[in-house]
Amino acid sequence: MRLLANLALQNLGRRKARSLLLIAAVAIGSGVVFTGATLMRSIDDSMAVGFTRLGADMMVVPEGALTNITAALLTVEPTDLVLDADVLAKARLASVARAAPQKIARVEHSGIGSHHELVDLIGIDPALDFTIQPWLKEKLGRGLRAGDVILGAGRDAPLGSQLLIFGKPHLVYGKLGRTGVGTHERGVFMSFATLEALAASMPQRPAVLAPGKVTGFLVELAPGATALQARFAILSAVKGAKVVTGDSSLSGIRQGLAALLKGILALMVLMFASMAVMVSVLFSAIVTERRAELGLLKAIGARGAQLIGVMVVEAVIATGVGGVLGVTLGVLVMRLYERSLVYYLDNIGVPFVWLDLPHTVAFAVGAIVLAAAIGAVGALYPAWRASRRDAYDLVRGEG
Amino acid sequence: MLACRQVSKSYKTERGLVTAVAGIDLDVAAGRFVAIIGRSGSGKSTLMAMVGGLSRPSAGTVEVGGTDVWRLSETALAAFRNERIGYVFQFASLLPTLRLIDNVALPAMLGRRQSTAATYAKASSLLDRMGLGGYLDAYPSEISAGEQRRAAIARALINDPALLLADEPTSDLDEQTEIEIMDELLAVNREIGTTLILVTHNLALAEQAGQIVHIANGAIVT
Repeated sequence: MRLLANLALQNLGRRKARSLLLIAAVAIGSGVVFTGATLMRSIDDSMAVGFTRLGADMMVVPEGALTNITAALLTVEPTDLVLDADVLAKARLASVARAAPQKIARVEHSGIGSHHELVDLIGIDPALDFTIQPWLKEKLGRGLRAGDVILGAGRDAPLGSQLLIFGKPHLVYGKLGRTGVGTHERGVFMSFATLEALAASMPQRPAVLAPGKVTGFLVELAPGATALQARFAILSAVKGAKVVTGDSSLSGIRQGLAALLKGILALMVLMFASMAVMVSVLFSAIVTERRAELGLLKAIGARGAQLIGVMVVEAVIATGVGGVLGVTLGVLVMRLYERSLVYYLDNIGVPFVWLDLPHTVAFAVGAIVLAAAIGAVGALYPAWRASRRDAYDLVRGEG
Repeated sequence: MLACRQVSKSYKTERGLVTAVAGIDLDVAAGRFVAIIGRSGSGKSTLMAMVGGLSRPSAGTVEVGGTDVWRLSETALAAFRNERIGYVFQFASLLPTLRLIDNVALPAMLGRRQSTAATYAKASSLLDRMGLGGYLDAYPSEISAGEQRRAAIARALINDPALLLADEPTSDLDEQTEIEIMDELLAVNREIGTTLILVTHNLALAEQAGQIVHIANGAIVT
């Protein structure tokens, strides 16, 4: 009823300082919850994407090969040492889910970049690769073909443009996003066939460009398999190889982050619970203060539901407005976050994927509805108790 | 109109059971003006509260217009208070955040028996009758205590109650205002025919009533 809603609204205006403090408290709470939930999901998604891009749990390379292990990516440093391309496929190891072979040739005078620039030409098997293609930021609307190359983010050439490598024309098929790994930033990626076709034009033919040879494999563990199991399996099956595991702290970080996110979730639940208690305590005090008014309303014929309605509507308005302000505050905080930490992460090649708009809006609406619901729940019990009292007791300030 | 039978009210306190009203029998015919007098704490207001459906008796029955008030459900009791009873309290009982016209219209709006426009037209007319036609949009804090009391009478009349209960409505007012308020109440009783029960300390006021009930220690003395 409009008059009762007006009454609730005007009651809020009557004690401006108290109402503002309540709204501010709810705004902070719901802002933290909205921001926390959105960032949590974004971090979760980013982790998923990040780990997908990381792809490999370990590398299999020839003994003596140099490796580059970074927090973002496992890469093989180019050497003359090689392994047979089918060595892992033949071994059929249960602890290996996927293995992506790579050929890496570090060449000079290739026609790419400056004259003496060392360029990493990296061959991949597009069908088996799971560590390079997930980084594709832009590409032509078709599959990778012979003669196509993919450029690292550090190289500047438009999609579809022609690139001469050792005098042979190649088409820029795609560009990678920033990986933060030097070999990838400045690397030129292509299929094995494209790379092997270049061998004839090179003044010195690297051993790895021989058909059936690879620089190494990036390996993804089978579900449930441990790195130790896979290491032993590979070393016993592949002679002259060494197994390099990624930073073992990565899985620790992953598990730690997951635990942290759960902890944040628990904290958010606790925060909302304490908000509900706070609103309830506050409305108990408000009901006590307004006993005479509630008694009067009851005396002139207000039903219990109407009395409860006035108090609950008042609480819902206050906490709902708090929720809206909280979400607004949260959006501002996330803008700040985007301009600082996310910008920094992007710059160092660590992907940060924001939650998509529909989910963000759903979280915002959820936070506001939850804040309003907390107001309703918080005010319900004191209002219900008051509605059960005799009108005369309330009018006299008792009960 | 009103029939109270062996109505009692007791309270549990730390010092034991306190009986505020002890087995009162009271009959009031329709359209009468009854004054209830007695010393402070004699049980006058408690009796009025039980008659008006505001306080449940510990024992006994209260019938208003043939309705056994305290056998009604909570919802029906709320409707009874809304439709059948007009209450004027001994304190300024207007809601401070509502305008005078909203305060007067409120009981009718709660009952939803007529349209908003009709309710507000009637509220305006009642305030006009109480000499407050120029204060429709005023808030209670902007008018005097006497004017607030008149507005409370207007509110009590908005639903055309069968029974108007006035609990010391002039206790904190000056003599002139007291006379004006009493004149309004008496006019309602005479002109509209609303049954009026007035609780008062003022014997001069009580003498204008057709029936005087004297209460002492929770029981009717005369």
